[in-house]
Amino acid sequence: MTETKDGVAGVQEQPQSPRALLHIDGLKVTFSSRSGPVRAVDSVDLILREGERIGLIGESGSGKTVTGMAILGLLPVNAKIRGTIRYGDHDLLTAPDRTLQQIRGNEIAMISQNSGNSLNPVMKIGDQIAEPLVIHRLCPVPDARREAIRVLSELGFDDPELAATRYPHEFSGGMRERILIALALVCRPHLVIADEPTAGLDAQVRARILKLIQSQISGNRTLFLITHDLGAASFLCDRIAVMYAGEVVECGLAKEVLSLPLHPYTQGLIASLPSAGLHPIPGMSPSPASLPRGCRFCERCPAALDRCDCDHPDLFLTECGRQVRCFHYD
Amino acid sequence: MSRKIVLWVSVAILGLFIAVALAAPLLAPAGPYAITGKPLQAPDSDHLFGTNEVGQDIFAQLVYGARITLLFGFCSALLAVVISTSVGIIIGYYGGIVDEIVCRAIDVVMPIPMFVLLIALTTFFSPGVLQVSLLMGLLGSVHGIRIMRSQVLSVARTSFVEGAKAIGASDFHIMFRHILPNVMPLVMVKFVTTSQHMLVMGVGLSFIGMWDTSTVDWGTMIQNAYSGGGVALGLWWWILPPGIAVVGISLALALIGYSFEEKFNPRVGVNRI
Amino acid sequence: MIELEGVSKIYSRGFIRREQTVAVDNVTLSVKKGESFGLVGESGSGKSTLGRLALRLIEPTSGTVRFDGRDLSCLSRSELRRTRPRMQIVFQDPDTALDPRMTVKDCISEPMKVWRLAMPAEQKERVVGLMDLVGLQPDLIDRYPFELSGGQKQRVALARVLALKPDFIVADEPTAALDLSVQAQILTLIKKIRRSTGLTLLFISHDLQVIGQMSDTVAVMHKGKIVEQGRTRDVLENPNDTYTRHLVEAAYESSAWMGKNR
Repeated sequence: MTETKDGVAGVQEQPQSPRALLHIDGLKVTFSSRSGPVRAVDSVDLILREGERIGLIGESGSGKTVTGMAILGLLPVNAKIRGTIRYGDHDLLTAPDRTLQQIRGNEIAMISQNSGNSLNPVMKIGDQIAEPLVIHRLCPVPDARREAIRVLSELGFDDPELAATRYPHEFSGGMRERILIALALVCRPHLVIADEPTAGLDAQVRARILKLIQSQISGNRTLFLITHDLGAASFLCDRIAVMYAGEVVECGLAKEVLSLPLHPYTQGLIASLPSAGLHPIPGMSPSPASLPRGCRFCERCPAALDRCDCDHPDLFLTECGRQVRCFHYD
Repeated sequence: MSRKIVLWVSVAILGLFIAVALAAPLLAPAGPYAITGKPLQAPDSDHLFGTNEVGQDIFAQLVYGARITLLFGFCSALLAVVISTSVGIIIGYYGGIVDEIVCRAIDVVMPIPMFVLLIALTTFFSPGVLQVSLLMGLLGSVHGIRIMRSQVLSVARTSFVEGAKAIGASDFHIMFRHILPNVMPLVMVKFVTTSQHMLVMGVGLSFIGMWDTSTVDWGTMIQNAYSGGGVALGLWWWILPPGIAVVGISLALALIGYSFEEKFNPRVGVNRI
Repeated sequence: MIELEGVSKIYSRGFIRREQTVAVDNVTLSVKKGESFGLVGESGSGKSTLGRLALRLIEPTSGTVRFDGRDLSCLSRSELRRTRPRMQIVFQDPDTALDPRMTVKDCISEPMKVWRLAMPAEQKERVVGLMDLVGLQPDLIDRYPFELSGGQKQRVALARVLALKPDFIVADEPTAALDLSVQAQILTLIKKIRRSTGLTLLFISHDLQVIGQMSDTVAVMHKGKIVEQGRTRDVLENPNDTYTRHLVEAAYESSAWMGKNR
């Protein structure tokens, strides 16, 4: 695996590093609401390279889901979006609907929460898996069916031809999860976005899904994992970016960030895990409708300096390659 | 924006009708029965809508008739909604065998056409407006019970109702303080739409002579004009005013009902992140 | 404080062809006064049903439930109602646990109104006191649930339950729907309240690590049966039953990445 550098444009790149698949540059998403503008995402920069597994970690209100939806063009009409998301030759934020439709499902696929329940109950699973192929006209219908059967056998179904004629309710929850992942992967997308795939699941189901995702998204495929589950991120990702109040506050190699977090929020987050002793971070994250002037974590930060209150920190690069949005690393 | 305009215009129209009905003695001091002009006179300065076949002022009849028609419509709707809400809440909350019995009973009663039932009843005794109104309220509640019940079911199974039970609140407290406020939006919509149905039904019943044909309301007015040859003779002022009044108020109520429904139905909502 | 003996709950559907689902199968356990008892299992194991059976919010198909020595099934409907203030429950989903049409003040003062615990004039004072106890800012008092975050809603639910000064609380996965840092806050709050009031807690969760932090004793449920019971530390370090072992392993795996930070 070639060494990858952090994702801000302008950092020198090694000649052998894989090409950038998705480049999110200065993404800002603001929603207009009755009480004024709500800044959900404030200037996010991320580069996803081919074959990389990146995790975007954050809690509700951090802006991570909005970022994921912006990539697929799924934001509602009242969202004001600025910045660019470059994918190949297109800017996904300004591309016409037809281009986006071509890309969705085909080149960029999404696995969402609660995977077991999102199948069409009145359609045979063989048809459902073949559907994206047919929609994107990647191959004629009979070939699509054969591909569906092939995918099913790859996923470990005993009699794939028979399975393809069955309906979702005839399968167990675990099988349905596999079918859903098959659906996402059937067009062999370059990028898979997984939005909270382990939300609300208990330990065993969660472990199963994580192993499934890991085995299926391999090779040159890129994974963009959006989650608040630190364990999932550690298991699946090479690099992670931590979001708080709409910005990236820490970014670096997954193992390093999780074992030695630098930003006080990341430190607090890890300390609040049950296995670390349940030490809570006092206070609440700021409302996106009224963000503080200085550092957004200042109020709850145990290491706040005087300048944190009035100056807003940039993402500083440390010697070990980590990016941290904190004046302590200036 | 335009939806709001539609709502306010409809409310204004409804308000106008109600105001006119209430102010009938002021607007037509002579009363609906007084013969104030020559028969079948076209509209002029004395008679806003002309006169009917005996010389009674149609405008006076319209404003007095509004009282009966509107009263009938709103009263029977009120009764229907009160019954269906109470029964719906009780059977939705308690469930069990009471629920089963009431539902089967409704299944039996619903297919019977109301009209036929009412006509059958009138062969036994000639009811007045009030009795028919009560009867209509009773029969009209049947359909509503189903709807209220399903709404109540979805509320009664929520955690906060369970929480209220856990706190030790009495059943009555839960039904009155928790379930009713949460189904209130539906109740209001039902009231408006039922009023509309009852009103039109009332005009229809009066048209076929369900009650004393000497009472002046919009139904009898239309009946009079129709059987008196108003259509054939082209005497538009005789037959149109009550008809347009019915359509007008019916439309106003229907539009109010629709906008309420949009406002209160959470599923007809905007995508939120 | 709470004793369950041979309690079962079987759900049956249909009149002619009776389909039976066994939610809880012959469970016997007891929670001592002042103890924090954990109930762990995956979804569908029957733990939530068991929690509700302990409060007689659901009727058991067989077995007895005793609260403070008294058999709950022997109580009449009104006697049961009168016992309710002493045994309370906090639900999992903060979004549906509060009546959307009641303000925070209404929600928290409702138990006081139902049981006439305080004069209307005093009620507001008490509500503010409870809000302070659970860490809610007083200016939220007139807000509606939809204006609050998940963590805040759970705090309101907690304040409401505490208004009755219960002896026993069942917490049914109270933080499952919440973010990590909020979870830590709410759980620490529950611990603090337990320490200061000495109430008995039945904590239900699917997360073994949370149970490890919250309970002294634990019972593991699988398919309606209790497969292992004992002091939390013992069960986590030396699980006897195979299913428990799976759970412990899975929990260990998911936090293995923490390594030195343990």
